[in-house]
Amino acid sequence: MPWSLLDKCCEKCWHSPKTPCPDFINCSLSGPLCHSDEECAKKRKTRLEQLQHGEKGAKIKVPWTSCTLATGAEAVYQAVVDYISKRGLDITVSISGCYGLDFIDPWLEFVTKGMPTAIYANVKENSVPKLIERYFLDQDVSGAFALKEKTGNAKGEDEVPLLSELDFWRKQYRWVSRNCGIVDPESLEEYIASGGYKGLSRALKMGPDAVIDEIQKSGLRGRGGAGFPTGLKWRITRQQRGTPKYAIANADEGDPGAFMNRLLAESDPFRIVEGLTIAGYAVGASRGFIFVRAEKPLMARRLQRAVEEARKYGLLGTNILGSGFNFDIEVILSAGAFVCGEETALIAAIEGKRAWPRQRPPYPAEKGLWGQPTVINNVETLAHVATIMAEGAEKFAALGSDRTKGTKMFCVTGAVKRTGAYEVPIGVTIRILVEELAGGAPDGVKIKAVQIGGPSGGCIPASLLDLQVDYETLQSAGAIMGSGGVVAISDENCMVDVAKFFLTFTSAESCGKCMPCRVGLRVMWSILDKITQGKGQEEDLEVLKQLAETVRSTSLCALGGTAPNPVLSTLRYFMDEYEAHIKKGVCPANVCAALVTYLIDEDMCIGCGQCAMNCPANAISKLASGKYRIDQSLCVKCGTCYVVCPVRAVKKTSCSGGGGNG
Amino acid sequence: MEGSRRDEVDCASIDDLFQGLRREPHNLLEALRRVQSRYGYLPLEGIKKAAEYVGVPLAQAYSVATFYHQYSLEPVGKYRILVCMGTACHLRGNSLNIEFLRSVLGLKPGQKTTSDGIFSVEEARCFGCCGLAPVVMIQRPEGKNEIVGKANARTLRAIIAKYRRLEGGAG
Amino acid sequence: MVKVKIDGVTIEVEPGTSVLAAAEKAGLRIPHLCVVKGIYEGASCRLCLVKTPTGRLFPACAYYVYRDEEFISDSLDLRIERKVNFEFILKFHRMECWLCPRKGNCLLAKLSKELAVEGTPVCAECPLSPEECLLTKGVPCLGPITLSGCDAECVESGGPCWGCRGPISRVDVLENAFSRYRELGIDTETILRKADIFWNSLPEFEVVKKVFNRVRTS
Repeated sequence: MPWSLLDKCCEKCWHSPKTPCPDFINCSLSGPLCHSDEECAKKRKTRLEQLQHGEKGAKIKVPWTSCTLATGAEAVYQAVVDYISKRGLDITVSISGCYGLDFIDPWLEFVTKGMPTAIYANVKENSVPKLIERYFLDQDVSGAFALKEKTGNAKGEDEVPLLSELDFWRKQYRWVSRNCGIVDPESLEEYIASGGYKGLSRALKMGPDAVIDEIQKSGLRGRGGAGFPTGLKWRITRQQRGTPKYAIANADEGDPGAFMNRLLAESDPFRIVEGLTIAGYAVGASRGFIFVRAEKPLMARRLQRAVEEARKYGLLGTNILGSGFNFDIEVILSAGAFVCGEETALIAAIEGKRAWPRQRPPYPAEKGLWGQPTVINNVETLAHVATIMAEGAEKFAALGSDRTKGTKMFCVTGAVKRTGAYEVPIGVTIRILVEELAGGAPDGVKIKAVQIGGPSGGCIPASLLDLQVDYETLQSAGAIMGSGGVVAISDENCMVDVAKFFLTFTSAESCGKCMPCRVGLRVMWSILDKITQGKGQEEDLEVLKQLAETVRSTSLCALGGTAPNPVLSTLRYFMDEYEAHIKKGVCPANVCAALVTYLIDEDMCIGCGQCAMNCPANAISKLASGKYRIDQSLCVKCGTCYVVCPVRAVKKTSCSGGGGNG
Repeated sequence: MEGSRRDEVDCASIDDLFQGLRREPHNLLEALRRVQSRYGYLPLEGIKKAAEYVGVPLAQAYSVATFYHQYSLEPVGKYRILVCMGTACHLRGNSLNIEFLRSVLGLKPGQKTTSDGIFSVEEARCFGCCGLAPVVMIQRPEGKNEIVGKANARTLRAIIAKYRRLEGGAG
Repeated sequence: MVKVKIDGVTIEVEPGTSVLAAAEKAGLRIPHLCVVKGIYEGASCRLCLVKTPTGRLFPACAYYVYRDEEFISDSLDLRIERKVNFEFILKFHRMECWLCPRKGNCLLAKLSKELAVEGTPVCAECPLSPEECLLTKGVPCLGPITLSGCDAECVESGGPCWGCRGPISRVDVLENAFSRYRELGIDTETILRKADIFWNSLPEFEVVKKVFNRVRTS
């Protein structure tokens, strides 16, 4: 193991978890501070240089996160290691987080002194040797996806764009995600080298009240969805008399379509640990918890590791950095329940009970975990806290809109060319997110709506794309900011089906405690189901609206309170689609199975047999002409043939006659 | 590991599972998870032991075991195929994929595990890989997960064939 | 002591008292179902909703007052919300009141009267015990398929129900009633003929006939 920034530089350094030094963080970067020694200062400089370019002057970074692993990063990593050892090259291989640009997964980054840092997109394991040879041996960067800088001394530099010039990078403002894809998420040293833990050491010197003032001055609002001012929440918790107090990081990111918390925790977990420590310090808590969603095991492992590392170097535990502040964190894995994202349900889950929310007030700030004052913040909020404390409130407050300061990460998925997570100042328009960052709709389809805010959010029609993303504007349009998931819905999707999908989700995830949510959502679902079967009646829409109103206003927690939003917003903007289902018995987008018929266009069919081979119901048979035909009486309308046909000869049609009252 | 695992699990030597876990009621979720990861599901005896260990009544342990999705009270297939039902995955065709999987594996409505106990097909909540929608995850018995992005009928058929081969080619 | 004002009535209570308890102290009735003091205060049924002057809804059973506050416990919109929520509760209740030993003496039946929810059959108000039930004696009584609200006057005076308040339109209740008739050997044709007297021109009667026909042939 080489000497690391966190190790003692010489005998004179006295920092250890037992004898903490208040200047540990600053010292490890620009030290030594307590003594002067040329040698020790040089040691740090060399090490910083090593972190940049690897110990051997050349480095390959492989992203190791859920999204890149799903596209084969493990095999790529193996291929890199194998090839380097086979050729005996002096290259360090390290892992990193993810840039959040899902469309280039898995990617590789090559770094070496004197050459521009190059990123390669969509790498296959068999192309690894070629890429390494070309970059490290031929000094040729052609074929790379983007460069981080230009040096003018590598071949093919002109053909490759600079990352900072590309739309999806240029238009972002990477404030809280600044380290994602850059640092090794398992190395505390790299985090500190990139400016980490400056926030905590500053906070500890300021005192809790000044920290809260600073956060209030920044105007930070909770990034979990509701947008409650973080500073105010802390102040209320701090003013409570009960002790002990607790601080909780809500990492139960359950909204389908949102993964910014996962990305942050997998790519930069220390920032969250630091943020939670600051929160604990500000409110006067002694114990912290990070509650992680069960479906995201890597996220939990990373956070667990980060906590252990921080503890090892005295950044958690007793007398943190000599301030007299004691704080420790426990990572708790959920067992899978969407409702755990609700703060009172999350508390019940940490207590080892059924995740049943309870009526508020009292709010957790007054009576939370085990009846004690508790502050609960979203993971992204806490990452913001750490960044604000390091960079200062003014810098943060300079970003964003009038009402809401700072930046927010958005995950843009669905019918767009460049799916991924993008960080932008609050107040940009949806159009910038969907069209400029994510590249707009793929060829051949059009975006007709965007769904913002997950199951609690709403669908906004394409005509409103110039709306600014902000808590208040989105709410007035019938959606919510939520956690920041933006799903583009193309004209190949049926809005009634989308509304039904969300109700399927929320009614299955309803904890069953209160009536409107448990039964009301099921009743609403069955009405939508009737409509998608073509058996709806016009009165149904009125009933649906009334039920939605009752469920919204009388549910116990936010799950039920917001669950009707997708229905209400689609009723508001896409009434024509509901009417087509009801009055004509037609699904305009050809989605609702009961209303759709699959047919093979015999003129286009090339007789390859893919459809028949993949048909699960054996409903497709070969004709004497060598073409294929679907037996409608056997067809289960699964749509497999439509997907597998190489020449798109399978057609979907929606004809009236599927029932209805017309 | 064959068919009739249900009541034959031996939970006598279960205590080593809870090593390092503090005997506090709030560790119930973790205790149950450890039982589940050893047996693939939660046998009644296992729930009892977990409840006893952390010091809560069996009723509370049972109420927790039935509440969360990750716990299963019945044995599940050796390979658990979890089909993501997130928004992006739904829009990109996972509701068709799950139907396809169910019919290819010959599962009747309401049945989630194949009769040979090799596969089970379940709906799952968002894995946070929405950029690669539609996503299907295969949980392997050794605890490793394979995530398949951009799944369609063809890739799924290939995956089932792959695991069938691992199981000795039959069927 | 804090002052709670409910519908204009001021009540002095200990801090930490629930709005429901305060209302009860003053003799004000707020409909409620799931709360049992000290055993369950989870605010599940959402019937005891009260409104603050700003229009926010809270369940009276789980809202504890620590300072002077004001609530409205009765208004048109509260009645509608309560009614819909009570319909949700009845949605998955089997409502075979003719078999139920509580007969009429249950909270559901009381609340459905109080909230004017048309859902329970006349049997819910029937004075006879399941053993005395006219059906078991082979009398074609329309109680199981007729809307309650009459306090089962006909049965009170010794006769069977004639169905004067109109039919129940819930399919599952009708199905249950049909199988009950069949079980006891009562001819459902007779039942329908008898029902025709009061229900002749009602559109809901068509629903009853349809359900009976479907069950008969299945």
